[in-house]
Amino acid sequence: MPSGSEATRRAGGVLRLAALLAGAGLLLSFPALAPNPYILSAGITVLNYAVLSTAWSLVGGFTGYISLGHGALLGLGAYGTGLLITKAGLPSFVALAAAAAIVALLAVPVGFAALRVRGASFVIVSIALVLILLLVFQSWASFTGGSRGLVVPRPFPDLTRPEHHRVFFFLFAGLLAAALATWWAIDRSRFGLGLRAIREDEDKAQALGTPTFAFKLAVFVVSAAFTALGGGLYALWFGDLDPVFQFSVLTGAYMVLMALLGGVRHLFGPLLGALIVGWALEWFKLQYGDTPLHLVATGLLLGVVVMFMPDGVIPALSGLLARFRPGEASIREVTAAELPASQARGPRA
Amino acid sequence: MRSLETVELTKSFGGVTAVDAATVAFQDGKVNALIGPNGSGKTTFFNCVTGMIRPDSGRASYRGQDITGKAPHRITRAGIGRSFQLCRVFPRMTVLDNLLVAVRAGGLKAQLTSARDRAEIARARGWLERMGIDHLERAEARNLSWGQQKLLELAGVMMGDPETILLDEPAGGVNPALLERIAGLVRQLNQEGRTFVIVEHNMDLVMGLSDHIVVFDRGRPIAEGPPSAIKSDPRVLEAYLGV
Ligand SMILES: Nc1ncnc2c1ncn2[C@@H]1O[C@H](COP(=O)(O)OP(=O)(O)O)[C@@H](O)[C@H]1O
Ligand SMILES: [Mg+2]
Repeated sequence: MPSGSEATRRAGGVLRLAALLAGAGLLLSFPALAPNPYILSAGITVLNYAVLSTAWSLVGGFTGYISLGHGALLGLGAYGTGLLITKAGLPSFVALAAAAAIVALLAVPVGFAALRVRGASFVIVSIALVLILLLVFQSWASFTGGSRGLVVPRPFPDLTRPEHHRVFFFLFAGLLAAALATWWAIDRSRFGLGLRAIREDEDKAQALGTPTFAFKLAVFVVSAAFTALGGGLYALWFGDLDPVFQFSVLTGAYMVLMALLGGVRHLFGPLLGALIVGWALEWFKLQYGDTPLHLVATGLLLGVVVMFMPDGVIPALSGLLARFRPGEASIREVTAAELPASQARGPRA
Repeated sequence: MRSLETVELTKSFGGVTAVDAATVAFQDGKVNALIGPNGSGKTTFFNCVTGMIRPDSGRASYRGQDITGKAPHRITRAGIGRSFQLCRVFPRMTVLDNLLVAVRAGGLKAQLTSARDRAEIARARGWLERMGIDHLERAEARNLSWGQQKLLELAGVMMGDPETILLDEPAGGVNPALLERIAGLVRQLNQEGRTFVIVEHNMDLVMGLSDHIVVFDRGRPIAEGPPSAIKSDPRVLEAYLGV
């Protein structure tokens, strides 16, 4: 390999590390910079979205199985945490960990049933899961509080409101870092390569020896655990749960939109998507109150992304940048010329 | 040693019996051909013995071991590799990654190590060189020409180090020069001890390459033998060559 390309790669690596540190620094200084608690809590909401869309992309991104049912996992994580505190008397963060573990366990049979069907059928099965749980949690009011809601005690009762927000900002940032690290570790592993093979052509992946079902199930469980942690942490932060918001197909749709908008082929794609969509949602709420307008906007945006930017904004933007760089012949053009020669007698002879 | 065998293997789609109680035995260490008119069930037969489709009844075995209804990845790991009739590669992956997917790794720890293992990359490069597409290692598979994709698919199959290789129409849509190369590769790999079962319509290729031919008609074998015998078998001429 020519040492020139090695040097460029190393420079690229340094650049990326610098960008990563700058991004992390910016993120961590946000609570200090936020002018008021409202902006800070909007930041927490966006971080929570980033956790959820990154968790979603572990399944939806790597394998291409588009789940609209992650709202169910989120709701179970949130209610699990709340109920384990209020009914079982567990300490807040023990309840959070236990709820995530329970949801991960539940994800095994759920994944076992849902991951057998592909494409549109999988989407529908995943929606059904959310609706069933919504019904259960609404009607089983004696246990869940029903539509009156469930009040989750605060983990740090002595903190003032701004302090409470600040602590949770860092907790969500830590959870996001863990989700991103997991994504990164999977992406570079054989397991991750197998998952991407499933996205491209599941039958072919299987024919090459990939245990596709076990892989899908494993990553679904990991995704479910992170989604539940996101939901549970939200419960501890927000302190009030309502089935309609916790078990919502819309939440699942947001996760899909954020991940696809940012792009699922890139580590920071879902995070970027969450920044864009999350802020937009908060802004909409601020401007117009809780109207169905943001629903329309979500739907439109999802349509635009799927039709015009199937790989999300990152490749779309770098594609745009590439147009201003000196062109490079496409591989097909080069190889078309090479093909006859290489067929006559290997390219090296 | 016994190779791939089936007993009364049957698969129907609705009213169509694609494979009809087929009892077939392929020869170990040889180049076997499976020929027959379009729709005679050759691809379905491949799908049944590689676990892509569960047969309705009958059995398939490999080297004496029952493989009926086993998951495809288990059959692959048992030593059977296959290509697809309409060449299938991972279009958005690089050529090198296409091969690395086929690396066999057991256990959680092995799965969580880097996909870009040096030894495996070296092995993958070896296969790409053999196929004559090593200069395309970093290209995305979708940017390759049809012929190059066929070679890439074959390289991917070989990466799994199969003892027996099923090829579904390897010559489909490729030019004469590439055809020659594929035939040469099959011959070499066979000399190195690998067994082949090849579904192919190009009769020159089949007759020139294979040691043993099985002829399918309407989902079941109607004749088998060496090329010389098959060429003059009246049943074959009637069913297949339309003479
Ligand atoms: N997935 C399928 N669904 C329905 N019918 C099928 C399917 N696959 C194959 N067939 C039918 O089975 C018969 C055998 O097809 P195939 O195995 O592809 O034959 P060959 O490979 O010999 O051309 C055909 O009649 C075909 O239409
Ligand atoms: Mg066929």
